[in-house]
Amino acid sequence: MLHLEKVSCGYGNLTVVENLSLQISKGEIFALIGANGAGKSSTIMSIAGHVKVKSGKIRFKGDDITNLPITKRVRLGIAIAPEGRRLFTDMTVNENLSMGCYSLPKNRLSLNRDKVLKLFPRLDERIEQQAATLSGGEQQMLAIARALMAEPELLIIDELSLGLMPKVIDLCYRAISTLKEQGVTILLVEQNTTRALEVADRICVLESGRDVWQGTAKGAGNDPDLIKAYLGLDQE
Amino acid sequence: MLFFDLLVQGLLQGGIYALIAIGLTLVYGLLRILHVAHAGLYTLGGYIAILITNATGSFTLGITVSMVSVGFMGMVIYRLIYQPILEKPPFVALIASIGLFIAMEEIYRIVFGAYGITFADAPLQGTLNIAGIYLRHCEIGALLLAALLITSLSLFTRYSRIGIAWRATVTDPGMSQSFGVDVIKVRYLNFFIGSAMAAGAGSMVAVMNNLVEPTMGSVPSYKALAIIVLGGLGNVRGTVIAALIIGVAEAFGTIYLGNILDRDSIAFALLILVLMVKPTGLFSKG
Ligand SMILES: Nc1ncnc2c1ncn2[C@@H]1O[C@H](COP(=O)(O)OP(=O)(O)OP(=O)(O)O)[C@@H](O)[C@H]1O
Ligand SMILES: [Mg+2]
Repeated sequence: MLHLEKVSCGYGNLTVVENLSLQISKGEIFALIGANGAGKSSTIMSIAGHVKVKSGKIRFKGDDITNLPITKRVRLGIAIAPEGRRLFTDMTVNENLSMGCYSLPKNRLSLNRDKVLKLFPRLDERIEQQAATLSGGEQQMLAIARALMAEPELLIIDELSLGLMPKVIDLCYRAISTLKEQGVTILLVEQNTTRALEVADRICVLESGRDVWQGTAKGAGNDPDLIKAYLGLDQE
Repeated sequence: MLFFDLLVQGLLQGGIYALIAIGLTLVYGLLRILHVAHAGLYTLGGYIAILITNATGSFTLGITVSMVSVGFMGMVIYRLIYQPILEKPPFVALIASIGLFIAMEEIYRIVFGAYGITFADAPLQGTLNIAGIYLRHCEIGALLLAALLITSLSLFTRYSRIGIAWRATVTDPGMSQSFGVDVIKVRYLNFFIGSAMAAGAGSMVAVMNNLVEPTMGSVPSYKALAIIVLGGLGNVRGTVIAALIIGVAEAFGTIYLGNILDRDSIAFALLILVLMVKPTGLFSKG
């Protein structure tokens, strides 16, 4: 479904991800793991079109989207819950959700909103609250919910569990499992390696902009060297 | 009755300021550019209103044509002046804007003459006595127009799909693009609405003074800057309130402080006072 072919991307003259190849299949959960500054966010922002691809190709459902304008990607079926959430903070929960399906015909709004609010009932109670005043967990839910409003085939989530308490993380992951059952493909960036290995089908470990390991989450869990060197599980 | 007289005059002036300053704060909010040449569009609005009214005899037509054509003019300015230099540091756009403003004033001088132009038969000059306060029809018209335009803008940004997308773009252009918003269209819309509102103000001031001269925008250009800073840069509601406060402060100030403080310095005295207490303006966000 999503295919990165030797992608290098970066900012200005700086290249932060080099020669990264990934293949994400329909319906799977793929996790991108790595230390701070490894280039995870840069990778997914290049898929979303916000970070410049310097060489290589990105294909989505067979189409070359390497240089496709940002605006058009959502129509193809890519939606993102980015690092830092980047909600429309001045606007209400409801308005944020309606922005989520801006690219769809008007009549999808109430339909999708009902669906998304069923997944995150907490947001329903706060539907007229200003996004800036939501708690961290609620903001993360809203960021995911907003992305879901676009009916994505590929949902990209950066830093899913960052700053959230375990109960809220559970809730978000349950939502993600539900989405997977509905056939949504999910690309996760996750600091919390234990969680990532639990939920992901396959993972890619990045270090300083290069991929150092790719394979199934099961395989990663059974590879003691990998765990020691990159996943830091022994520290948890 | 002096109190109410001054209050109404202040609100009237404040409404005019608000119509001008909203465009400025909208542009700042979206592009982080101080669009000084905006005041030149306000003047242009006055010219067009007079020219069309004199040619057709209808002020309604005059102000409508003025608002629409100046709205488009604002879009042209964005496209030709600002868009090419958006990636440059902010002072580049500021210098371009000041240059454009001076050029506009000179063009008006060359085309329409240094002494300005007047209505052949100034409309809306009759007076009305409302509870002891005498107002000219044009003054009532200006108050109503300001109220109408500001309310419409507020409803538009709150309830329409494009209006919500516009606000989203002001907060985070990147993310709004990710959800399919064409940011360039939003910018055009932004310039159209802001410029049309300034032209509405320019048209009403043209009737109230029965005069439009090349430098009509000079004082509003810097006063509007004070207003949008006071209102918390980029904040439309704050700008409207700040504009009304300054309008009223000026009305009372000229009577009670007239011999120590010039009318046009009151806005800045107020600005300095507020910034000493709250450096982000009266209504900054967060
Ligand atoms: N806008 C930018 N301009 C220049 N360099 C940047 C920019 N954004 C990120 N970088 C650099 O790119 C590298 C990769 O950053 P990125 O945000 O992709 O890492 P990450 O893996 O997401 O890290 P984290 O886990 O901390 O979120 C870092 O060295 C960072 O300093
Ligand atoms: Mg990151």
